[in-house]
Amino acid sequence: MFGGLREKLRAARDRLGSSIQAAAVKAEPAEKATVDLPALPVIAPAGSAAPVLSSPTFVDKVRVLITERELIVSEKDVNEALSELEMTLLESDVALPATDAIIDSVEKNLVGRHRKIGESVDTLVVHALKTALLDVLGKGFDLKDYIAKHDRPVKILFTGVNGTGKTTTVAKIGAYLKKEGFTVVIGAGDTYRAGAIEQIGVHAERLGIRIIQHKEGADPSAVLFDAVQYAQSHKIDVVLADTAGRFHNKANLMSQLEKIKRVMKPDLVVYVDEAVAGNDAVTRAAEFDRTVGADAVVLTKADMDSRGGAAISIAHTIGKPLMFLGTGQAYDDIIPFEPEKVVDELLDGGA
Amino acid sequence: MMLDGLSASLKDALKKLAGKSVVDRAAVDELVKDLQRALISSDVNVKLVMELSKAIRTRSLEEEPPKGMNVREHVLRIVYQELVRLVWASTDVRLEPQTILMAGLQGGGKTTTTAKLARYFQKKGMKVGVICADTFRPGAFDQISTLCAKINVPCFGNPQEKDALKITREGLAALKDQELIIVDTQGRHALEADLIREIIDLNLLTKATHRWLVIDAALGQQASEQAKRFHEAIGIDGVIITKMDGTAKGGGAMSAVAETKSGIAFIGSGETIEDLERFDPDGFISRLLGMGDLKALVERANEAINPEDVDVNAMMKGKFTLRDMYKQLEALNKMGPLKQIMGMLPLGNMQLPEGVYDVTSTKMVRYRIIMDSMTPKELDDPALINSSRMQRIAHGAGATPDEVRELLKYYKMMQRTLKGLRGSGGGKFNMQRLMKRFSGMQ
Repeated sequence: MFGGLREKLRAARDRLGSSIQAAAVKAEPAEKATVDLPALPVIAPAGSAAPVLSSPTFVDKVRVLITERELIVSEKDVNEALSELEMTLLESDVALPATDAIIDSVEKNLVGRHRKIGESVDTLVVHALKTALLDVLGKGFDLKDYIAKHDRPVKILFTGVNGTGKTTTVAKIGAYLKKEGFTVVIGAGDTYRAGAIEQIGVHAERLGIRIIQHKEGADPSAVLFDAVQYAQSHKIDVVLADTAGRFHNKANLMSQLEKIKRVMKPDLVVYVDEAVAGNDAVTRAAEFDRTVGADAVVLTKADMDSRGGAAISIAHTIGKPLMFLGTGQAYDDIIPFEPEKVVDELLDGGA
Repeated sequence: MMLDGLSASLKDALKKLAGKSVVDRAAVDELVKDLQRALISSDVNVKLVMELSKAIRTRSLEEEPPKGMNVREHVLRIVYQELVRLVWASTDVRLEPQTILMAGLQGGGKTTTTAKLARYFQKKGMKVGVICADTFRPGAFDQISTLCAKINVPCFGNPQEKDALKITREGLAALKDQELIIVDTQGRHALEADLIREIIDLNLLTKATHRWLVIDAALGQQASEQAKRFHEAIGIDGVIITKMDGTAKGGGAMSAVAETKSGIAFIGSGETIEDLERFDPDGFISRLLGMGDLKALVERANEAINPEDVDVNAMMKGKFTLRDMYKQLEALNKMGPLKQIMGMLPLGNMQLPEGVYDVTSTKMVRYRIIMDSMTPKELDDPALINSSRMQRIAHGAGATPDEVRELLKYYKMMQRTLKGLRGSGGGKFNMQRLMKRFSGMQ
């Protein structure tokens, strides 16, 4: 996961670094010149000597360079590299709006900054990128911590479009929580898709997790209500509520989801999407967030050589933390998402 | 329709060009930039977008517009041609005995599509059988067998068996009386080496006629890479785009098509078993650009290169008869709805009231019918038409004399307009006024 993005980001980082370096080299002769010849202007107030030069920014640059031993990063220095960074992000499935935001942030962070000559360009760039990415990714979400701090049973509702891996994710999170010592019950709320009840049923059986299910075609709200009832009467810690995949542009299905939410009153609504989704990830995350809300996000299929852009897009769009990454077909192929770690790995890993 | 978002942005890009009187380098650059953003935000592979836009840019600037075509039409035609090249043709789907192997990523909709395909071929009168070779996902066999039972298609599978090859071998034997067999497989991605090995073996075992790759419309930049690896493994010869009823634009799937040099076989756009459409590339691109039937327009452009229907020169000389008008209307009819024609005309970006088009295009049909009951003499010399002739014409066309009168009024207006067009100075070709009058006449 994120392997591709990491490589590309490193390349972009090098580019940014080198173009700033190049700018510094260009400034170098000026530095020598000023150091050799007019030792005066430095001492004398620049006010009298400066107007001779047409570009005040140049004077500024030189002054800063000499007096403070710093460079000013200009827009021109980073433009080309930034457009390369833009392409990198787009190629990594970061949606267009999120890409624009990141580029803006990096640019703002770099342009006009004073850089000490001794300070490494790399540090500067990494810092700018890191700030931008962390900004977008926000904080992670610690599920264990959340459950520990809330009244039992903690009810978690899983939503998302078709085929993103909700059912598999429910099973994986069930396995994860069980391993962490919590008791879990699963509500088989996908009563629509043929074979869905059997699918989650087999998972639950394998994992030794209790499951509440009705027949195919039953009202999902009723199933999930029963699951909550069961958890309450049996003092179970967590209810994991699976639902049928639905498209955010189908009003009746979305209102069914609203009804489910009214009936089972979840503590957490978890939005599930796949790491390989492109720009649509933004549209649908926004729509789900708007209609039924989303408290956290799970990103599945992160093992598909994916560049992880969807994580950035979704986080940027709805501003909700990423909780887990699904990384394979086995039950333990799920890892809690820690933004700092991921960003560090992206920018420093293997370097 | 499904591609609304993309259409809107591309349309904007093209509109910008429409406002330009001369297509200069800057205008083309702007169009290409907008086009890039539009395609990228529809998940078309970034590299592909770059190649595409480069080709469009070069051709727009270097190719001489064909005679009879204005610069905007020329650029539009290039955009269209390059986009069509991307999704090339629709995959050939024959109604003959064959085996179809389904391949794709997890959660792409293979199983649902398998059932839809079974239904499609069944409706075409073929004897269809399905093999469930998905031995991994729990409930997969329940899912496909439930769907197959609903449409009475035999479905072979065994949820206890873990060997997909064994199931398929048995399935092929059990379903040997069926004309068409669809093999549903488990979801896999290109990095899962043993699963790729498995599908290679399945392909060899089934000697599949077709190997179709099922791609989720929402799949992003990953699509090309995945398609490439699947293609290397088993030779994909068709792509099925699923989940087109969401808001995803299918750019990833388009890239997959370009990568495999195959075509789009079907489009899945709904949850019921009937929700499967054959793919029509021209329609797809036209919708993509939000411009109706562009293919007809491109053909029209080709006609413009060697015109035969409408003798523009004669018309410009002022010799414009009902017969010319008839030909014009006929040509318009061939080209499709008036709306797109108006869009293609070199009118700049003038705004026409919505609804005008529909009324007028039905009216055009009426006019043609009326002219059909005129004599050749009347067509050549409309001045001949007196009230008794008018009665006769109306009678013959099943129209009222008022309608005939309206037609003649329209003819005179056209004639005047053309004269104005020919003459310099005051009589400027004012389409807007013409349309206003036209809509006033309804």
